[in-house]
Amino acid sequence: MEQMIEMLDEGIVSVRPMGELDHHSADEIRRTVSHLIYGGSISGIIWDLGNLQFMDSAGIGLILGRMRDLRAVEGGTVILNPSPTMRKMFEMSGLGDHLLDGLPTDAIDRLGGILHGK
Amino acid sequence: MENEMTLQFSAISENEALARMTLTFFIAALDPTLEEISEYKTIISEAATNAIIHGYAEDPAGVVEIRAKLDGREVTVSITDHGGGIADVNEAMQPMFTTKPEAERSGMGFTIMESFADHLEVQSRPGSGTTVTFKKTFSPVPEVCRTTG
Repeated sequence: MEQMIEMLDEGIVSVRPMGELDHHSADEIRRTVSHLIYGGSISGIIWDLGNLQFMDSAGIGLILGRMRDLRAVEGGTVILNPSPTMRKMFEMSGLGDHLLDGLPTDAIDRLGGILHGK
Repeated sequence: MENEMTLQFSAISENEALARMTLTFFIAALDPTLEEISEYKTIISEAATNAIIHGYAEDPAGVVEIRAKLDGREVTVSITDHGGGIADVNEAMQPMFTTKPEAERSGMGFTIMESFADHLEVQSRPGSGTTVTFKKTFSPVPEVCRTTG
């Protein structure tokens, strides 16, 4: 599936999946992002979902899995601009604290705060 | 509006999108809201994915069947596989329960389906397969949005 992965400052990576995220398409993103985390260069992930048209529980599994990977480096996770339906799914899955509606810069500020223990 | 359809496809993951798209076309004439469509698509996607990966372990010889019936603004959809079945349905429906953590299944599928459907029923027998049936009623189209002609 189409995705944009962009390295920002301070080891923050922005992942912007587009189209439809399901069990079939989640695998490709998982491989790419896991590779970056295991490379040791990532301390935080912004999942920018503003351009995602559809997501099912495979998206939950994908994000929970990367949070597990990030635990080793005490990294942070922000889920940016999910649709109302996605928001409900994240809240049901206990990820409500990671949701943010706003600009990518807001997500970077939030992550910077988490990573520096503010 | 009354209508019926049946869709059959091989248990491969590419067909998750096929199931969502076909079943979305089936209810498109009802002019549902974006949120109603995406909730409905999510239920289809969860149930079809379960049939493909849990029912048949992605064996292309497995056949998933989806039957849908439209009665007014209520749709009834059943998703059936003749695969492995579920030993304990109540356990499978618990949030975060999964038999495939290594495949990054979140275990949230049934919780999400129950939340987005008006009614959901799961019938399963180990060795003979699973049928998930759900109902969802779409809200009436507001008067101001109706087009004439």
